[in-house]
Amino acid sequence: MRIIAIALNTFRETIRDRILYLLLFFAAATIIFSRFLALITVGDRVKIIKDVGLASISLFGALMAIVIGTQLVYKEIDKKTIFALLSKPIHRYQFLLGKFLGLALTLLILLLLMSLIFLVLVFLHTSQIDWNLLKAIYLIFLELLLITSVAILFSCFSTPILSSIFSLSFYLVGHLSWGLETLIQKIEAGPQRVLAQVLYLLIPDLENFNIKTEVVHNLPLSSQFFFFSTLYGVFYTLFVLTIAFLIFRKRDFI
Amino acid sequence: MAAVLKIEDLHKSFKTGFLLRKKKILKGISLTVEEGEIYGYLGPNGAGKTTTLKCILGLLFPEKGKIELFGLPHHSPRAKERIGFLPENPYFYEHLTASEFLKFYGELSLKKRKELTSRVKELLHLVGLEEWANLPLRKFSRGMLQRIGFAQALFNEPSLVLLDEPLGGLDPLGRKEMRDIIVRLKKEGKTVFLSSHILQDIEMICDRVAIVVNGQIINQGTLHDLISEKILFTEIILSGLTAKELEGFGERFSFLGEKTLLKVFEEEKIEKIMNLVQKRKGKIHSLIPRTQTLEDLFIGMVQKG
Amino acid sequence: MRLSFLKEKGFSSIFLVLFLLLMCGAYVATQLKIEQITRQKIPGSSIIYIPSGKYLKFATFGYSSFLADLIYLWAIQYYSTYTISPEDRYKYLDHIFSIISELDPRYLDPYDIGALIAVYEARDPDLGFKILDRGLEKNPEQWIFPFEAGHYAHLVKKNYKIAQEYYKKAMEIEGAPPHVKRLYANAAYKAMDFQTSWQTWVEVYNTAEDERTKKIASNHLYQVKAGIDTKMIEEAIQQFKARYDRNPMELNQLVRAGFLKSIPKDFDGKDYLYDSRTGEVKPPTIPWKR
Repeated sequence: MRIIAIALNTFRETIRDRILYLLLFFAAATIIFSRFLALITVGDRVKIIKDVGLASISLFGALMAIVIGTQLVYKEIDKKTIFALLSKPIHRYQFLLGKFLGLALTLLILLLLMSLIFLVLVFLHTSQIDWNLLKAIYLIFLELLLITSVAILFSCFSTPILSSIFSLSFYLVGHLSWGLETLIQKIEAGPQRVLAQVLYLLIPDLENFNIKTEVVHNLPLSSQFFFFSTLYGVFYTLFVLTIAFLIFRKRDFI
Repeated sequence: MAAVLKIEDLHKSFKTGFLLRKKKILKGISLTVEEGEIYGYLGPNGAGKTTTLKCILGLLFPEKGKIELFGLPHHSPRAKERIGFLPENPYFYEHLTASEFLKFYGELSLKKRKELTSRVKELLHLVGLEEWANLPLRKFSRGMLQRIGFAQALFNEPSLVLLDEPLGGLDPLGRKEMRDIIVRLKKEGKTVFLSSHILQDIEMICDRVAIVVNGQIINQGTLHDLISEKILFTEIILSGLTAKELEGFGERFSFLGEKTLLKVFEEEKIEKIMNLVQKRKGKIHSLIPRTQTLEDLFIGMVQKG
Repeated sequence: MRLSFLKEKGFSSIFLVLFLLLMCGAYVATQLKIEQITRQKIPGSSIIYIPSGKYLKFATFGYSSFLADLIYLWAIQYYSTYTISPEDRYKYLDHIFSIISELDPRYLDPYDIGALIAVYEARDPDLGFKILDRGLEKNPEQWIFPFEAGHYAHLVKKNYKIAQEYYKKAMEIEGAPPHVKRLYANAAYKAMDFQTSWQTWVEVYNTAEDERTKKIASNHLYQVKAGIDTKMIEEAIQQFKARYDRNPMELNQLVRAGFLKSIPKDFDGKDYLYDSRTGEVKPPTIPWKR
């Protein structure tokens, strides 16, 4: 299939990008640093390792997605490799989808690498495997897919630097949306409140993918939550990819 | 027999500048390319050649007008399966080797798995790059990139090959090879649409040409029709006559000591000169009649436009 | 041509926009469903990142006062969050404020606030004293710390001896306002250290700069004398009762029986009131109504 051909080509291209390995190094360093952080704080050692570990996987994963994703389409347009490509009998959507899947595959591999280091460290401290950690990592992966789609969206029409700023803003807004929720309760009932509520529902809620608290403190995790978070990720990602496609299909390549 | 490529009244503008002012690039292009011919698309830089090509390929969306490939709408995948495109200044994925690159493009052209590897080998042989099959593209020279670009354009045995400035940046040997390949394509029954501003080569291989200036086609037809075969002037290199004696015959250029280059415009004067040289026991080194070249025509048209 | 071209792309455009809206609706609906699922929150779970005592130096990398600020700000947030479970809430109170003190001993606010939280929220006045002691130790010029400690001792713990000690400390620091002395004297009275209280009130009376202070001092002197006198008289009454098995009919009997040399008069020269049934001795005037 053509989509798979583009995906594999994208994978081959992105997995060789050295900046990913630099970020991987920092992620590993942070995860290992949590071991030492645990020594100098009052908290339970394992709690801190799990907490910092998951946080760094999420953060560095997002950075990887943004750094690579924002170049993905832009580079093809800038270097004009897209001309020969689109003259072939492929649809533009196949191009976009291929790029997305290729980067997703690369991120999956890097995520697995980071997770491996993390899980080994946790295992050394607890001598047992905590399956909840894997669940947390799965949700982080869904979050990364969403961020990738956003990075690709901006890559279709903006330079890498601007795209990175927008994508990072998306990430930040997504994690701080609870602030809006708190604010809404302070607004009096009326059209302003409704508007704010609508806005709150539209903006991304990336905390849906964050189960650090539950995992670190061994709180119960409902499978309902899991299921709906997955759906949320899927729907929102498709939403963003559709916007990307709407912009990309009518684009003139000068 | 449907035309291989048919363009009717093609218009395209771009919004440029801070105020997004509309700049019209193509102002009503119409042309037809028949099967089996080598069609030259000429024009000065900025005339709209590449823009036209991009419209044909679906990289740009025309404002107005119709483009048909093999009678089908130009953006349909079925039409695209039958064309091949070589862009100007080809730049390809650096991290791939030559054969990986061709394989990738092959997959996009939907070749069956089994045929893929053999076809890649075939093409590498055709463009003379077999030796460097496993070299990453970032180590390729300009000429080599041109050739691999050609290979990718020919991957699925297209009926129509579109070439944007294929001869630019090649050394004379490279240009000759490229011309030979193009002519061979014609022999195989393919149609070639060639956009260029290197007129000597166009002259040598094209059947029909269109000259586009400022977004409009100002002349098109066979070379034969466009360029008269009238002799413009004759260049004679001779020795043995003094400057005074040569006066009145034509333009005189001093040339390598004793030899003189004389540009004679009137045919009668040629015989007179030859007799004069014989009488004075001089020598005629060469005698070359010059007809109108494409370049002459081209410059004339551009200057008029 | 543009129109027909649009018609070709137009159909799929509409489909795409519809799909877009569908996805939007889908994720909004999913979000609403997720909102309904309650997730347990652990407020203040970030406490696990508070540095422990050892290796504290390494925890700072040279930015100790900055770190002190951060931890202090965090602590205020943490202790304002009433949803944190009560058993654990004050577990680290001492530790946190000792860390802040160690990182930036001259940062004054945390001592005040730490003691406040300890006294009123954790209901642990001794911890409050500890924090304020530390504050004074690191900042000997701050009279306010023993001053506050005195107040906590006086009002909350109701241990007047401790209050007296603290007020003394505060009094002796340069820059302490004059009323600290008066608080000291009052605390001494409440702690039944009448001698000290009397002496101090005499000093206050003599050094008073305005009528009001003089009046206050005079009232207190009345009170202290009344305290000394009533105590003395009541002791004599007890001795009388032990000997004669009844309360004396009148106070003079105590003199006649030899238990007292004379019956003291109050500060104004009036007699004390005596109730022979209960054996109670009272001053005739309320000090503040003089």
